[in-house]
Amino acid sequence: MNRVITIALAGNPNTGKTTIFNSMTGSHQKVGNYAGVTVEKREGRRKYKGYDFHIHDLPGVYSLTAYSMDEVVARDFIINEKPDVVIDVLDSTNIERNLYLCLQFQELNVPIVAALNLNDEAVSRGIQIDEKRLSEILRMPVIKTIGKNGAGVEALLDKAVEVFERKEKPDYEVSYGHELEGDIQVVIASLEKDGAFCARYPVRWCAVKLIEKDARAEELLESHAFADGVKAALKERVRRIEEHFGRDASTVVSEQRYGYIHGATAEAVTRRPVDKQTVTEKIDRVLMDRVLGFPLFLLILWLVFQTTFTLGAYPMGWIEMFFGGLSSVATAFIPEGILRSLVVDGVIAGVGGVSSFIPLIVLLFMFISILEDSGYMSRAAFIMDKFLHIFGLHGQSFLPMIVGVGCSVPAVMAARTLKNARDRIITVMVTPFMSCGAKLPVYVLLAGAFFPRYAGTVVLSMYVVGTLLALFSSLLFRKTVLRGESTPFVMELPPYRLPTVKGILWHVREKTFGYLKKAGLVLLPASMLIWAVTSFPKPALDVPKDVQMAQSYAGKIGKEMAPVLAPIGFDWKIGIAAITGFAAKEMVVSTMGVLYRVEAGPDRKSDSLREALRRDPAFSPLVAYVLMLFMLIVVPCFASLSVIYAEIGWRWLLFAVTYWTALAWLLCFIVFQTGRLLGF
Amino acid sequence: MTILGLKNGEAFIVRRVTISREIGKRLADMGFVRGAKGRIVRSAMLGDPIQVKICEYDVSIRRSEADGIEVEMVEEKK
Repeated sequence: MNRVITIALAGNPNTGKTTIFNSMTGSHQKVGNYAGVTVEKREGRRKYKGYDFHIHDLPGVYSLTAYSMDEVVARDFIINEKPDVVIDVLDSTNIERNLYLCLQFQELNVPIVAALNLNDEAVSRGIQIDEKRLSEILRMPVIKTIGKNGAGVEALLDKAVEVFERKEKPDYEVSYGHELEGDIQVVIASLEKDGAFCARYPVRWCAVKLIEKDARAEELLESHAFADGVKAALKERVRRIEEHFGRDASTVVSEQRYGYIHGATAEAVTRRPVDKQTVTEKIDRVLMDRVLGFPLFLLILWLVFQTTFTLGAYPMGWIEMFFGGLSSVATAFIPEGILRSLVVDGVIAGVGGVSSFIPLIVLLFMFISILEDSGYMSRAAFIMDKFLHIFGLHGQSFLPMIVGVGCSVPAVMAARTLKNARDRIITVMVTPFMSCGAKLPVYVLLAGAFFPRYAGTVVLSMYVVGTLLALFSSLLFRKTVLRGESTPFVMELPPYRLPTVKGILWHVREKTFGYLKKAGLVLLPASMLIWAVTSFPKPALDVPKDVQMAQSYAGKIGKEMAPVLAPIGFDWKIGIAAITGFAAKEMVVSTMGVLYRVEAGPDRKSDSLREALRRDPAFSPLVAYVLMLFMLIVVPCFASLSVIYAEIGWRWLLFAVTYWTALAWLLCFIVFQTGRLLGF
Repeated sequence: MTILGLKNGEAFIVRRVTISREIGKRLADMGFVRGAKGRIVRSAMLGDPIQVKICEYDVSIRRSEADGIEVEMVEEKK
C-alpha cells in the first residue's frame, strides 16, 4: 500500500503553473467545480517513488483576500483540507509580487516547497536568483524549474516527499516590522484565550487577516468564545495603526509584507540592467498602438471567427451526413411505427445534435487557448474595456459576445475566461442576444417572404437590435440584480509567450469532454422530450403529418397558448414552431414546412414555404417582423441552456429564462400593437 | 498628484493608495505600495485604461483606479 501525499499546487496566474501540473500528473486528471461556486477544481494523481501524490491545482491568484471567489477557494482549501505540502509556483521574472502570495501561505502554517519557474526567462532579463540564499532566508525549500520542458519537476516531488517525511511543523517567520508587530501580538494574545479556536485556525494568520479587515476572518471570529473581547482589542489596534501610519490598516499590512519581501530579495536576487527592448515591448508597440491596436484586434477576432465557423462547417457536415446515414439505416431496418420514430427522430437526432457542436468547440477553444497562452487575451480586454465598461461589462466579455454570433454554446463556455462571478453571470445572460447562426435561416425565410426588397436590411436589423439588447440588459442587471462595487480592472498584462501544442491540446480536450458530459446529459433528454410532445398522442395511421402535429401535445400547447400569443399577433401554428425552436432554432423552419404542408426538395422548399406563408392570412409583414424579434429574444435552444446551467447554476438560469421570455413578449407586444395602430 | 497627472513614459514612486476597500486592497496586493517604483507605459484608445509598469511587470488599471494612487514623479535616466 502506497502512502498518500496531498499536494496543493498554488501560485499567481501566468506563472506556468498549469504546465507544471500537466507534467506532474500526465493524463490522470479530473476537472470539476468547487461545491456551490463556478471555480474550476482540478485534481491529478501521480505515483512516484512508492508514494501516491494527490495533486490539487488551486486557482491562480495574487493574494488571499475575501474579495474574489478564486482566492476564497484557494485559502479555504488550505485551511479545511490541510494539504501535506503546498507547492507554490513562482514567476522568477517577477519574484516579489509572487512571494507576496507565498508569504500568506507561510502564515497559514503549511509546509511549502517553492518552485522558481520561468527561470530561463529571468536569466535572459538579467535577473539572477540565488536559490540557496533565498531558501535560507524564507526557511523553505526552493527549486528552480522550467515548466515547458519539465526541468526540475521531479526535484519538486522529491522535495515534497522529504518535507512530508520530516513531519515537523514549519517555523516560518513573516515579519511585519517593529511597528506593526506589537499590534499583531496584542490581537494574537486576545485570540489565544480560546484554545479550541486556535486549534482550528492558524492564529497568527487570523490576527493579520483581522487587521486587514477581512470579511471571512471576521466571520470566523464569530465562533470565538470571547469574540467581543477580541473585537474590542482589534478595534483599538486598528485605530492606532491608522493614526500612526495615516493610511488604511489593510494597505499598511500589504506595505509591510512587501517591505519584508524587499528585505529578503535584496540579499538573494541580483539584477543586471538589460538595455535592449524586450520582445514583448516590441510586439506591444504594434498590437497595443493607440491607432492600430483596435483595427488589429478586430482583424484577429474576425480571423478566429471566420476560421472557426468556415472550417468547422466541414466536420459538422460530415457528422450530419453520418447521422443522416444512420437514420436511413434505422428507417430501413425498423418497421414503421413508434419505435422507428423514437430511434430516428428521438435518439439519433438527439445524439447527432449533441455531436454537431463538437467541431465548433474544438476549433474555438484551440484559438482561445492560443490567445490566452500567448498573452494577447488580456491585451484585447485592455483595448475593449472602456467601451464595454460603459454597459457594466468587463473588457473580457467581448469574446463570448462575438462568438455568440456564431453559436451560443461555445460562447457561453468561453465566458469561463472571466474571473469575476458577477461579470461572468451578466455576460452569460446577455450572450444569447447576440443572434446565433441557427437563427439566421428563420430570419432569411421570413425576411425573404415578407420583405423581399429589403431582406438584407431587415436581417441586419436583428443583429443590431440583439447587440443593443445585450448591452442595455447588462446595464440593467448591473443597476439592479447584480449591483455592487465595480470590480477592479487591475489586470496583469503578462509577457508574450509562445503557446505550446501540448498546452493547447490539454485545453481543447478538457473543454470538449466537459461539454459532452454536461450538454449530453441535458440535451439528450431534452430532445427526447421535444420528440415526445410532437409525436404523441399516437396518430391514426393515415393522418397527414400536419394534422398529426396539430393534434399532438405540442399542437395542444400551441392552442392553449393562443390567448397569450394573440396580443403579439401569433396564431397556434407559430406557437408550435416556437416550441420546436427550443430543440434547435433552425427547426422552426422545418416545423413550418410540415405545418404548411410544403414537402418539396431542400432547395425548393424554402421558396414554396415563402409562398405558403404569404398566402396565410395570419401572416403579414408586421407579424413576420415580430416573429423574428421573438425568435431573437426568447429563450435559446436546449444546448445553450445546458451550458448556461453549467456556468451559472439553476437559480440564475431560472431568472434568465424568465427575463428572456418576459422581454420577448413585452417587446413583441409593443412592436405589434404600435405597428397595428400605425396601420401596418 | 495621482497617476493621472503623469504622461506616457514618465516614472513615479508610489506615495499611498487613497481608495479603500476592494480596489485599494487589490492595488496594494498587486504592488502599489508606498515606495514602489513604476512607469506609465501607455493608455488605450480613449485614454482609459492605462498600462503601468510596476515592480517589473505590466498591469492595466482604469482611470478611476489610477486616480486613487498618489505618486511622486521621478526623473528616470533612459
